[in-house]
Amino acid sequence: MSRVRGVARPAALRLLPWALVLALAMAMLALGADYALGKATLVATYAIAGLGVVIVVGQAGQIGLGQAALVALGAYAQALLVGAGVPPLAALPLGALAGALGGALASLPARRLGGLYFGMSTLAFALIVEEALVRAEPWTQGAAGMAVGAFAVLGWRAASTLEQAAVSLAVLALALVACHRLLRSRHGRAWRAVRDDEVAAAACGVAPAAVKMQAFIVGGALSGLAGALYAHWIGFISPEQFGLVFSFELLMLAFIGGARRLAGAAWGALVIVVIPQLIAVLRDQLPGDWARAAGLELVLFGAVIVAVVLLRPAGLAGGSARSDAAHGDGA
Amino acid sequence: MRFPSVLRFFRGALLALSAAALPAAAEVVGDEIVVGTVSDLSGPIALLGVPVRDGMLMRFDELNAAGGVHGRKIRLVVEDAGYDPKRAVLAARKLVQRDRAFAFIANMGTPVVMATMPIIVDAGRLHLFPFSPHRATYEPLHPLKFQNFAPYQDYMEAATRHMLSTQGYERTCLLYQDDDYGLEVMKGVEKGLAANGRELVERTSYKRGATDLSSQIARLRAARCDFVVLATVVRETVAAMAEARKIGWEVDMLVTASGYSAQTHELGGEAVEGLYGVSVLPHPYAEGANSQLAAWIERYRARFKAEPNVWSVMGYTLADLFVRTAEATGPALTVEAFARTLEGMEFTRDYFGSPSYRFTPQDHLGNRYGRLAQIRNGRWELITDYLQ
Repeated sequence: MSRVRGVARPAALRLLPWALVLALAMAMLALGADYALGKATLVATYAIAGLGVVIVVGQAGQIGLGQAALVALGAYAQALLVGAGVPPLAALPLGALAGALGGALASLPARRLGGLYFGMSTLAFALIVEEALVRAEPWTQGAAGMAVGAFAVLGWRAASTLEQAAVSLAVLALALVACHRLLRSRHGRAWRAVRDDEVAAAACGVAPAAVKMQAFIVGGALSGLAGALYAHWIGFISPEQFGLVFSFELLMLAFIGGARRLAGAAWGALVIVVIPQLIAVLRDQLPGDWARAAGLELVLFGAVIVAVVLLRPAGLAGGSARSDAAHGDGA
Repeated sequence: MRFPSVLRFFRGALLALSAAALPAAAEVVGDEIVVGTVSDLSGPIALLGVPVRDGMLMRFDELNAAGGVHGRKIRLVVEDAGYDPKRAVLAARKLVQRDRAFAFIANMGTPVVMATMPIIVDAGRLHLFPFSPHRATYEPLHPLKFQNFAPYQDYMEAATRHMLSTQGYERTCLLYQDDDYGLEVMKGVEKGLAANGRELVERTSYKRGATDLSSQIARLRAARCDFVVLATVVRETVAAMAEARKIGWEVDMLVTASGYSAQTHELGGEAVEGLYGVSVLPHPYAEGANSQLAAWIERYRARFKAEPNVWSVMGYTLADLFVRTAEATGPALTVEAFARTLEGMEFTRDYFGSPSYRFTPQDHLGNRYGRLAQIRNGRWELITDYLQ
């Protein structure tokens, strides 16, 4: 298999860091530092989970409709481990491991199912996980949810939004590096081969079932890692937070950003987290009762999403179909 | 992707982050008091969120028209989190940092409340009267946290005890929403039963948003329950009663205050006749209203072109508690002074038929009691006073 040339930086990726810094600086000026940093924390955390979707959906071509369940596994693993006295930093890899194990389980039906049918099985997996978290009341406190303390390392607590943003961005950077390397490796090439033509990939000696499972394990680990951070940033987790709406939100994130590119996860997270907040701020400027109209943010956000999909069908980070073919994809 | 560029990005980002200022202090700026609320106007409990917001707006608008509190106007800033804690966290930060909210009133939904409460109290803002049954909203005692919603566990225990002692039920069952709300109700019902030396004969749950409860009702009927407690909201209450009547099961049912709403009999019609409910605040019916309530209903209709319901009254009442406490605090309004004043306040029963709310330095839960009502001739009728 020849080496994919797409690892050269596309324009979207080159611009991404500057776009993020610009957005952060503008948000700080307009809204205040604490608010902007809170958003940066969530953008980075969402981007890590979004990387998982990019691997599973964009790279391996599998329909994954239950990514939030993998985030939930990471969040609960982190909460339980920290509650049991494990230092949060040491618990992070275990949170990722919980997501990876969940990913491996969710991928099992891929041995017999494909396409939308497999997508349905991931949906069922998400429902099972949510239900299991409710039923495992002695450990998870069931539907009542559980509180999670601040992220801490050797006595230092990430209590402020500045510290939380720094931790999230650092983890996102590490995740991007790891994903970048993976996509350049034979695993990445195998994922793309299975995505583009499963039969042809099998004829070339790639085992599709194992490759899909690898993608789900990596995607699950990233989602679990995001979940572990999420548990600390939100401070309270309950099974209902990780329902199908969250799964679809992550899927939407990847498609808005560009499911075939790593940068797509960050772009998508930026849109999913920041745009509704900007709309909320602009809404305050509307006169009288308009500013308080129920669901106004949702309507405006929907309009933004439709516009993005129409203007950038391959996502904000995605090039045209032709440039994808010419340069490969992934980074 | 080349890594020097990524490193440059993170270096730049951290530089930008290091310029972060401290959170804005809790203060009353000029002649305005900002009150924030992280509500649900588009999510699963928007049915509550919209009238609560309107009730609060109405009270604050009336106050502002009359000159405000010691010359200061109150501005209500509403953020819609749609029951999503992620959106709520950002909304709370916006209200703290950008809008400089002095206090938060009626934040809505347990995940939202639990995720935002630390942000709010850590920033030194008041966290008042959230819509959540979670005990963390008033226990352990915190100088900035106040709650006035009677806990489901407390009033359902009293209601169950009362129903058993007056009606002599022998086989009590429970249909509950499988979340923190349902669990709180379950604990209360079990305590009430235990006081009568009994246990739940059967219990069955449903997921929020379920519309078909036929299997749950069939299961309860098979258990030969003679009394069913419903830890449901409006739609599920109607669905449960309608299903029972459809299969010819004339069992007595009691719903919590979450199902005590005019929408229950408006949607359910004949099927919900005879349903018992717990009321922590009476529904404002125009027919038979006292003169003050009738005038209030007219004002509400004129302002919002809609009929008020129990949640509108709730919103209005919460805003009124805030206004009266701010007035009692005096012109030198600070968070600390407001909180200490509220700790000495007692709000007696009003023309809405509210319970009396009382806060002390040792107890920040203003009310623990509910009263029983029953749907008779297409409207709720109160059948007891507040049950101790």
